[in-house]
Amino acid sequence: MSKYPGLGLVSLYVIHTIIFWLYPFLWGVVIAFKRWNIISPDKEFIGLSNFIGVLYDPLFWISFKNSLYFMAVYVPLSIVSALGVALLLSRIKFLQSFFAVGYLMSYISAGVAYSIVFSLLFSGDGLINTWLSKINITIPWFSDPDIAMASIAMIVVWKYLGYYSLIFLAGLQAIPESLYESASIDGASERVKFFKITVPLLNPSFTIVLVFAVMLSFNIFTEPYMITGGGPLDSTQTFVMQIYHQTFTALHAGYGSSFAIIVAAISFLFVYAIRKTVERDMA
Amino acid sequence: MIVIRDKKLKKHSNTIKMVVIYTLLGLGLTVMVFPYIWMILASFKIPSEIYNRFFPSRFTLENYEMMFSAGQGGSDNLFIRSAFNSLAVSSIATFSVVLIGSITGYALARLRFFGRDFLNNFVLFQMLFPAILFLIPRFLLMLELGWINTYQGMFSPFMVSAWAIYLYTQFYKTIPQELIDAARIDGCSELRIVFSVMLPLSKSVTAIVAIFTFMSTWDEFLWYIIVTKDYDLMPLSALLGLFTRGEYNSYPGIQTAGAVILTVPILILFFFFRKSFSKGITMSGIKG
Repeated sequence: MSKYPGLGLVSLYVIHTIIFWLYPFLWGVVIAFKRWNIISPDKEFIGLSNFIGVLYDPLFWISFKNSLYFMAVYVPLSIVSALGVALLLSRIKFLQSFFAVGYLMSYISAGVAYSIVFSLLFSGDGLINTWLSKINITIPWFSDPDIAMASIAMIVVWKYLGYYSLIFLAGLQAIPESLYESASIDGASERVKFFKITVPLLNPSFTIVLVFAVMLSFNIFTEPYMITGGGPLDSTQTFVMQIYHQTFTALHAGYGSSFAIIVAAISFLFVYAIRKTVERDMA
Repeated sequence: MIVIRDKKLKKHSNTIKMVVIYTLLGLGLTVMVFPYIWMILASFKIPSEIYNRFFPSRFTLENYEMMFSAGQGGSDNLFIRSAFNSLAVSSIATFSVVLIGSITGYALARLRFFGRDFLNNFVLFQMLFPAILFLIPRFLLMLELGWINTYQGMFSPFMVSAWAIYLYTQFYKTIPQELIDAARIDGCSELRIVFSVMLPLSKSVTAIVAIFTFMSTWDEFLWYIIVTKDYDLMPLSALLGLFTRGEYNSYPGIQTAGAVILTVPILILFFFFRKSFSKGITMSGIKG
């Protein structure tokens, strides 16, 4: 111990990790193969039944479809708007950090707080519809099953816009100015410069934002739980809501655990696919 | 002649470009800040004006009064208590993440011992695992420990962060060896070196680690509604979330007042530490 003080110093981390990380992790895997209702002492080993059950669960596929719908709105919308803001920010000097901080403000709003705000603001007779009704439009943002998930995606875009912009801005600032200058000398247009210099050199930023956005899409809970409760007609059910419901309302701990493992595997696969297809080696 | 006119033209089009850029940024910022302004105004409105008016016809404190009179009445107010619960849980978690993060980071960056390389890799490995995998088994662990409905049940899983250890390890690798050697010659123990040499030098990392940990534990919702059962033990986010879905479902005034109370502490933190917020995000972006 005195000869190796390092071991002593890391012991707090190691002990905590064994108790609150490794042990739960292994336990989660073990109970995924068992039928257990938390209350009773019997835990029956049932092999892969829980996993097969999840794959036959209509709500699993509904949640999957909803997550893909969320992603289809969220990913392009947040990438285009965040890149747009970052490009604008990169062209100004005066007040640059004022705007950057201003756009980042939404990032710090708590899930519960901004869910309350948007659920009232975009409710059927809320302020946005009151304004829209002046031009004879009202949009049932959270009550139409076809658009409820897209509305939720839009408010999450609001939350993370400044965050993603900052990542893009850091990427833009890392591109050497000399590249643009020599391209200008060669007579390249703004458009050519954007697609031949900016986009390829921003690849690390694109990759990280895509990974963040996709992982978020599979893990949303607070917003649909607070605003729609999963409705209307299950159109905003998500994986995490299902896992929560199965485990803590229906008390199927083993089933919930196998559900969580499948969801983690899906998000791993998506992240892996992004890394394989989008990420370029920047040598 | 032509050259001069060209230059003038260019200068002119640049000015127009700048006006367009600032206008777009300003419009975007208005949209981004609008929900905050609406929230604050709504919390001071009489309930009938929350839905269809932007500016209140008169300001009222009744939403806040009603919120702060919720609960068993008297001194034992639910919302004041829950704000205290949030503060306690987030502070303990933050303190612990900084403490364990810096101690572990120092050992992983600067000391040699059996298993160091393994632990360095393990910290990175841990960051790959999504939180959803731990939700159920950690709840079962809390049941086993008898920590359901306790403070330690709420904060114990958040006391260590692999991300914080990683940041400290990376930063401590850059500190000159002479400083550590000098402290050792003065007879400092390794733990003492962490507290009197390393931590004072890593204020910027500590600020990033502390604010992001505090914010994420303050905003946390799912874990708190799972491990707490009694209203008087719940952090603000959990209490406000459950009340909004339940008792306060038709009281938008109290909901928005609650949202203000939940947002303002982090907003204050944000304005004081805005540089650390930006830096923390850029760093995690580069880390990939």
